[in-house]
Amino acid sequence: MAKFFNSLRDGVGFDLILVGAAMLFLLALAGLPLVYNVLMSFQQVDMFTLGQLIRPFAGFTNYAAVVAQPEFWLVTRNTLIFVVGSMTGQFVLGFALALFFAQKFPGAATIRGLFLVSWVMPGLVVGAIWSWILAGDFGVLNSVLRGLGIIQSNIFWKSDPSFSIWAVIIANIWLGLAFNMLLLSVGLAAIPRDLYEAAELDGANAWQRFWTITLPMMRSTIGAVLSLGLIGTLQQFDLFPALTEGGPANTSNVAGYWSWQLSFQLYDFAKGATVSVMMFVLVLFASILYVRSTRHEVRG
Amino acid sequence: MTRRYTPWALLVVALALAAVYLFPLYWMYVTSLKSGSEIFANPPTFWPTTPNPDIYGQVWSRRTMSTFLWNSVIIASGVTAITVILGTGCAYVLARYRSAWIDVGLFAVLMLQVLPASVMITPLFVGFNQIGLLNYPRLAVILAAAAKSMPFFVVLVRATFMSVPRELEEAALVDGNSRVGAFFLIVLPLARNGILVCAILTFMGSFGEYIYSKSIIQSPALQPASVGLSGFLGPNSSDWNSIMAYSAIYVTPILAIFVILQRRIVSGLTSGALK
Repeated sequence: MAKFFNSLRDGVGFDLILVGAAMLFLLALAGLPLVYNVLMSFQQVDMFTLGQLIRPFAGFTNYAAVVAQPEFWLVTRNTLIFVVGSMTGQFVLGFALALFFAQKFPGAATIRGLFLVSWVMPGLVVGAIWSWILAGDFGVLNSVLRGLGIIQSNIFWKSDPSFSIWAVIIANIWLGLAFNMLLLSVGLAAIPRDLYEAAELDGANAWQRFWTITLPMMRSTIGAVLSLGLIGTLQQFDLFPALTEGGPANTSNVAGYWSWQLSFQLYDFAKGATVSVMMFVLVLFASILYVRSTRHEVRG
Repeated sequence: MTRRYTPWALLVVALALAAVYLFPLYWMYVTSLKSGSEIFANPPTFWPTTPNPDIYGQVWSRRTMSTFLWNSVIIASGVTAITVILGTGCAYVLARYRSAWIDVGLFAVLMLQVLPASVMITPLFVGFNQIGLLNYPRLAVILAAAAKSMPFFVVLVRATFMSVPRELEEAALVDGNSRVGAFFLIVLPLARNGILVCAILTFMGSFGEYIYSKSIIQSPALQPASVGLSGFLGPNSSDWNSIMAYSAIYVTPILAIFVILQRRIVSGLTSGALK
């Protein structure tokens, strides 16, 4: 017994307690729910069986029912547009800004740091602000675009079915752009300066230096940033209730928000769980990419 | 000669970029100060003609913001406490050793970091319902949100621990300290700043928590400020100066903390987020 307590204080038991407490907590509140989610997607769940653990087995009927929903393919398409659009915007603009702030000038680090306020703000507030900027009649974005002569008449970003998903994408790009830029800046700073000097002596121009040095040297950073972007975009929820609530007619609805609507607005918990299991398959794919791209750093 | 001016030209461009990027924040404050009719002026005024800060007092009392913000503080403090207490030790162990088991642990943490809240909320709600935790909705939200924020905290703090020299800890052990003693007296104080920054990040993140609170907490007296804001938001909202005043009251403390600690937060993120 004394040996046991001694190990807790001064041996491997100490480490096991430290890591075990956190792991048990995560297992109970993230691992178990995940398994439970898969289980629920194969059960009949309604308001009457909500409090029971044992429920009638439903086989794949929930999955069939979800796919048969008229909005299923629309939501799938929107999810893809949302993910690809947000990631492209965040990455391209983030990379451009990271390259710009890698130049040497006074205050570069401080100004770059200020961009990050978008990332620490509550998602719902970001959604509220963009909701007002993108407003159709009196929104400032329409007014600026008209002033610049880019558009002739107002775009109803949030209520026009062909623009509603883009309203959320614009807000999401703003939200995630700074984080992308910051991570890419770290990758840029890690490239040895003398590589560039050598290439310059050899007569490589800026474009060639970018393609032959910057991009290859940043491969693992780019992989990590892209997969984090994919994960972050799939996690995005707050902007939807703040901007469009998935509307009009589901034209801006994505899997994550739809799953929540099914569970908490229509109280169809089985379908909600089913959609989120489908979405989790996508997340799993993203996380394999992420773990692969950071694998060699994990041991560092 | 041109070389001497380039840095300053770059600085001007950088300031312009920052101004464009931060315009939404400016627009929030400006809109909140505008009168009801000026908001719907066409073209919009970029500087309020008659700034009127009275709206802040009105929104504060009409929207019972003190209750909402207090609940946000309670939830964010609870999440931060659980995350820091459990996450710090976990990060320390994951930083100290290299073995197959540590890799398994790290992999588990990385995988949990990627779970979207919208995937977890349905099973958590049903599970909490079954064990009766929904009767303590704020506690339920704290537990759920802590599980969400802990993996990111562990990843960041692990990077902090990796920068603490191992030799210092070993020297303490040689001097007769126990593992517990060396951890609390040597390692923790050295990693204190990094942990503090990550704790503040966790607090900021859960101060804006929305999806769990919205789904779990029914009573308005217990809801946080994010749910309070959603109450008058939506496709048909038009009360824009109140919404922007509410948003301004809600985010200004976070922005203030961020600007004060900007350097530390950025360096904390850059050292850990990619690992």
